[in-house]
Amino acid sequence: MSTDILSTDAIAVLGFVCLFILMLLRVPVGMAMGLVGVTGYAYIVGPGPALKLVGQTSMRTVTDYTFGVIPMFMLMGALVSVSGVSRELFKAANSMIGHLRGGLGVATVLACGGFAAICGSSVATAATFSSVAYPEMRRFGYPQSFSTGVIAAGGTLGAMLPPSTVLAVYAILTQQDIGKLFMAGIIPGLLAMLMYVTTIIIIVKVRPDWLPAGELKPWAQRAEDLKAVWAPLVLFIFVIGGLYGGFFTPTEAGGVGASGAFILGVLRGKLNRTNTREALLQATRTAAAVFTVLIGALLFGYFLTITQSPQKLTAFLTGMGVGRYGVLAMIMVMYLVLGCLMDAMAMIILTVPIIFPVIIALGFDPIWFGIIIVMTVELGLIHPPVGMNVFVIKSVVQDVSFTTIFKGVIPFVVTDIIRLIILISFPIIALWLPARMG
Amino acid sequence: MKPNFADHMINAIEWLAAMFVGIVALNIFLAVVLRKFFSTSIPDAYDFGRMLLGILIFWGIAATSYRGGHITVDLIWQAANKRWKRVIDVFATLVLMFVVAVQTAMLFDKVKGTYTDNVQTYDLNIPTWPFYAVAWAGDVCAVVLIGIRTWRLVFQPDMLKDEPPESHANE
Repeated sequence: MSTDILSTDAIAVLGFVCLFILMLLRVPVGMAMGLVGVTGYAYIVGPGPALKLVGQTSMRTVTDYTFGVIPMFMLMGALVSVSGVSRELFKAANSMIGHLRGGLGVATVLACGGFAAICGSSVATAATFSSVAYPEMRRFGYPQSFSTGVIAAGGTLGAMLPPSTVLAVYAILTQQDIGKLFMAGIIPGLLAMLMYVTTIIIIVKVRPDWLPAGELKPWAQRAEDLKAVWAPLVLFIFVIGGLYGGFFTPTEAGGVGASGAFILGVLRGKLNRTNTREALLQATRTAAAVFTVLIGALLFGYFLTITQSPQKLTAFLTGMGVGRYGVLAMIMVMYLVLGCLMDAMAMIILTVPIIFPVIIALGFDPIWFGIIIVMTVELGLIHPPVGMNVFVIKSVVQDVSFTTIFKGVIPFVVTDIIRLIILISFPIIALWLPARMG
Repeated sequence: MKPNFADHMINAIEWLAAMFVGIVALNIFLAVVLRKFFSTSIPDAYDFGRMLLGILIFWGIAATSYRGGHITVDLIWQAANKRWKRVIDVFATLVLMFVVAVQTAMLFDKVKGTYTDNVQTYDLNIPTWPFYAVAWAGDVCAVVLIGIRTWRLVFQPDMLKDEPPESHANE
């Protein structure tokens, strides 16, 4: 080992500094991690073994069948998305409750939840509903701040409800059961929906004139609109039910879900050559982007191992004397700060390999921590001063200022913090369902 | 602007990548249906599945790299003016090209190793190196496309159509 000039600690610190500089200069996160990881490893061990790692790790990662869960669920989400399901879900929810005060807001939350249960992406959910729900809310006189705020918050459901891509990646990085993590997200996801709805009800009580009632639809129309959502419902029950019952592995569930989404789309006349191609391309590009970060993270992981950074961090944090929940609080604050710099996937992939040993050493449940970390990261997507979902909404709804969107998001941020406290206090909320899996 | 040879090549690469994701889904679907309902299986479905996945990802990296669809931290970039944005983009793309070029060279060793070791699939004993070679070809295409992207960033910025942020549907 050639560490006579710099100590391994200094190399590790230098590595992190270089990594952040490269990332801030817009080098793709995965490439920056890979470059720093391999260079650092080469400095300590030698260039030959380091370069060998590049070929081996890249090929091993992309040909790992378990990782197939990522492109498959992305394809399912993309096919459902281009089939216009988001519009149908919103129409159905709006038909049922849109005539009540705040009903359109509640309909947005419910439709976001329904869409998230197929799509698995926060940003995609927020982007989709910015064009589906926002114009409708504005048509009935809902304020811009509330309309965008509820969409930003509803979008975060995408990372919690299965099939969540972020949870799948967390499972891969920490070698946890993907199926169990998906199941662990269901009750916290439903709790999030319930709490968002409660927040809207409270807003209506406090300012009754702020969220006017929408259009009252006849029962025949409501039944008609409700009937249109059978396809995503069947798909969700089939895929997640199959996973829960042990009928499929997660990768198979993704493959069957994607094929099911395609068949349903074709049968319902919603898919044609153009939008199918669009969905295939979207899934391919997004999966490739995620795999690039995964390969980079694994290469960076070798560097972390050789510098023993996770072990040193664990020893440092556990020796601080602030207790396990004190350390957990510090980690969560770190995620909220990081949320201002990067998106959820990058945060998870960059930090989990370092933080996870700390969590295990502190005796926390890895499945429960997966839910907590995803919730915290998602909070980062909507909280000021920088929130990815807010940026996405702004790019779709251009006539709204960032300040207005953040103003609308605040009640939901408070709700999320309360939910986080509930989930930390009662881990059973996340762990009950996975414990009963087939 | 009239599409030129490079545009046709980019489209063809994107099409290929998109087709692979469909083939992977079909392979999984058929394997599950045959196993669950007919108690039989496609020989080497598992090996085909994972090798096709590799092909899909490397060809996908080619498509993603050209369109600027990688996961990036845009904090400084968003605050920069147009000129500096371009400078940052060129720098980031050059680093990307360097990393992918090194990866491509190292992957070639891996493909060569698979060929010389005569690694075969489990059921049908088919040599696996051609699959790895197709995956590697995707990485070669990625280097070419990143080269085209760099050229266009410097000399023809109007010809680049990067993905909008809402299409980064990976969180």
